[in-house]
Amino acid sequence: MKDRIIEQYIQLKLSDSAALKNVYLFAKELEIAEKEFYEHYSSLEALEADIFNQWFIGVKQNLEKSELYDGYSTREKILALNFAWIEALQANRSFVKEVWKYKKDMLSLPKMPSFLKPLKESFEAFADSIINEGIQNNELVDRKFLSDKYKNGLWLNLLFVVNFWLNDHSKAFEKTDAAIEKSVNLAFDLMGKSPLDSMFDFGKFVFQNK
Amino acid sequence: MEQNSIPTTKVERAMRFVKTGAQIGGNYIKHYSKKALDPSRTKEELHEDNATDVYNALSELKGSALKVAQMLSMEKNILPRQYTNKFQMAQYNAPPLSGPLIVQTFIKSFGKAPQEIFESFNMKASNAASIGQVHEASLNGQKLAIKIQYPGVAESIQSDLKIVKPIAFRLLNMNEKELDKYIKEVEAKLIEETDYELEFKRSEEISSQCAQIPNIAFTKYYKEYSSKRVLTMDWMEGLHLDDFLKTNPSQEIRNSIGQAMWDFYDIQVHELKSVHADPHPGNFILKENGVLGVIDFGCVKVIPEDFYYNYFALLIPELLNEPGIISKIMKQQEIINANDTQLVQDKITEAFMKITRLLATPFMESSFDFGNNEYIDKIYALGEEVSKMEELKQSKVGRGSQHALYINRTYFGLYSILNVLQAQVNTGIRDWKTNLIQYHQNHLATVKKGN
Repeated sequence: MKDRIIEQYIQLKLSDSAALKNVYLFAKELEIAEKEFYEHYSSLEALEADIFNQWFIGVKQNLEKSELYDGYSTREKILALNFAWIEALQANRSFVKEVWKYKKDMLSLPKMPSFLKPLKESFEAFADSIINEGIQNNELVDRKFLSDKYKNGLWLNLLFVVNFWLNDHSKAFEKTDAAIEKSVNLAFDLMGKSPLDSMFDFGKFVFQNK
Repeated sequence: MEQNSIPTTKVERAMRFVKTGAQIGGNYIKHYSKKALDPSRTKEELHEDNATDVYNALSELKGSALKVAQMLSMEKNILPRQYTNKFQMAQYNAPPLSGPLIVQTFIKSFGKAPQEIFESFNMKASNAASIGQVHEASLNGQKLAIKIQYPGVAESIQSDLKIVKPIAFRLLNMNEKELDKYIKEVEAKLIEETDYELEFKRSEEISSQCAQIPNIAFTKYYKEYSSKRVLTMDWMEGLHLDDFLKTNPSQEIRNSIGQAMWDFYDIQVHELKSVHADPHPGNFILKENGVLGVIDFGCVKVIPEDFYYNYFALLIPELLNEPGIISKIMKQQEIINANDTQLVQDKITEAFMKITRLLATPFMESSFDFGNNEYIDKIYALGEEVSKMEELKQSKVGRGSQHALYINRTYFGLYSILNVLQAQVNTGIRDWKTNLIQYHQNHLATVKKGN
């Protein structure tokens, strides 16, 4: 049932958004009682947010199933997730564009738009486990206070990638591939051992010993 | 040379070049202040300093900038040797694509990960080219080489070239307008090189038409596993030039490979009129049994007919005795133009003919020993001498047709590979000469009739 609700919602969003004015009208389209809808979702907003979350969970499960993924470093795992995520969105680019369009301004506000909240939670849980793995195998550096922010960085990176993809006019979205490769590499270079650590360490030493 | 971080954005890349520009400026200041203290310091050291800085900048860039570095490194006659030595280092090993990006590229091209298509696929690149990298794989027991291209290369070339231009003007001492037609030619070729489907087509054409040459091998391409950004071919066993020479091949083997290379170019230029215009060592595999393997058909120059008949007429001394023919060729080749004074025309023609006579030497004899370093040194020396000519330096326009760019590069590349290989090659007696003489005699006859 859930799948049917999602499928129908996406379809109506693109072709006949008047039918999405309220749950009553939407349930009518689905030919179910309004009551039945609430068994799955409390509101249309919750439904919309869940669509993104479901996609993400699907992408993550698919990745974790593949043998290749096991052998990846943490950097490669995040890269693979970003590629697979955009690949998944590709199938519904028009829908993503529609939803992202009218909420685009909200991205610049400090408050996260509600339709991204469940996605953000799932992503950050995923990112957290990857980051821990990375710290344990020394790919990433554990920095006081900062380490907790790593996952936010990766989340912002994901938002950047989606925005880039939505505005990408290159054929087969080749530039988005390059954007993912470059931005994730930058993020991991920053989170890994860098000259900044040595600079900070040296600065502290000089300060303490003058 | 380490190439850990690639500057990513346009701004960042531009910054690299600004930095390099400043460094070159700094090198000049350093040079002249040091010279004041130590008069024995030579201009060679200055060139060396500059080349290092330019190379360091280029090695941090990817894609087309690296390609331009390669291109410049082939133009030994234009650049002082210190530049070219450094630039040649740029011909190998650029930083790699990540594993997930390789998988992504395959999924976009074939809907499947490489591991699902091939029996084995090595995620570690075995070789880096300037716009992509090569992976080893196997299918049905056959070892394969798979070339994978970085995403978005074709699109970033134009903006890269805009950045390269100012530095090229500095290095080559030319102004923007003068370089424009050449830059356009290079740009078009670079963009073609990013199209693996085109490369596939050209490799099939050229290899089928050159198959009868003795001691040459072409690799088999797989259409079903090739796309715009992926090219799958049989792995060719053998060594690149440097490693091949370390095995101390006999003179006989060197000659056999050298001859195959010479014949390969002869047929392409004079029969197919379309030529593999990238003879740098990375594009050839040499085998211990004296066979030349040709890989990479990314850069193919199609030779226009009237350009062909004028350019190659210079290789036939008996033709050049015809009155007026030299000045006709000079004009067609855009070496001299209508605005030049007679004095400038004469001087430039004289210098050009001097170079031509030298470069044409191998064609004059029935066999030629390219291992003769004296000959190659003479070419460099004359090249540097000519580049210092006042008449050329003061010239406000580019000299030479844009088509000559890749043809010259092809022959410089060919000569220098044959030189490193120390090969003796049968060069002289060829049928195409008759054809050329015929063409010009007919042409002169019609002109006379017209009068």
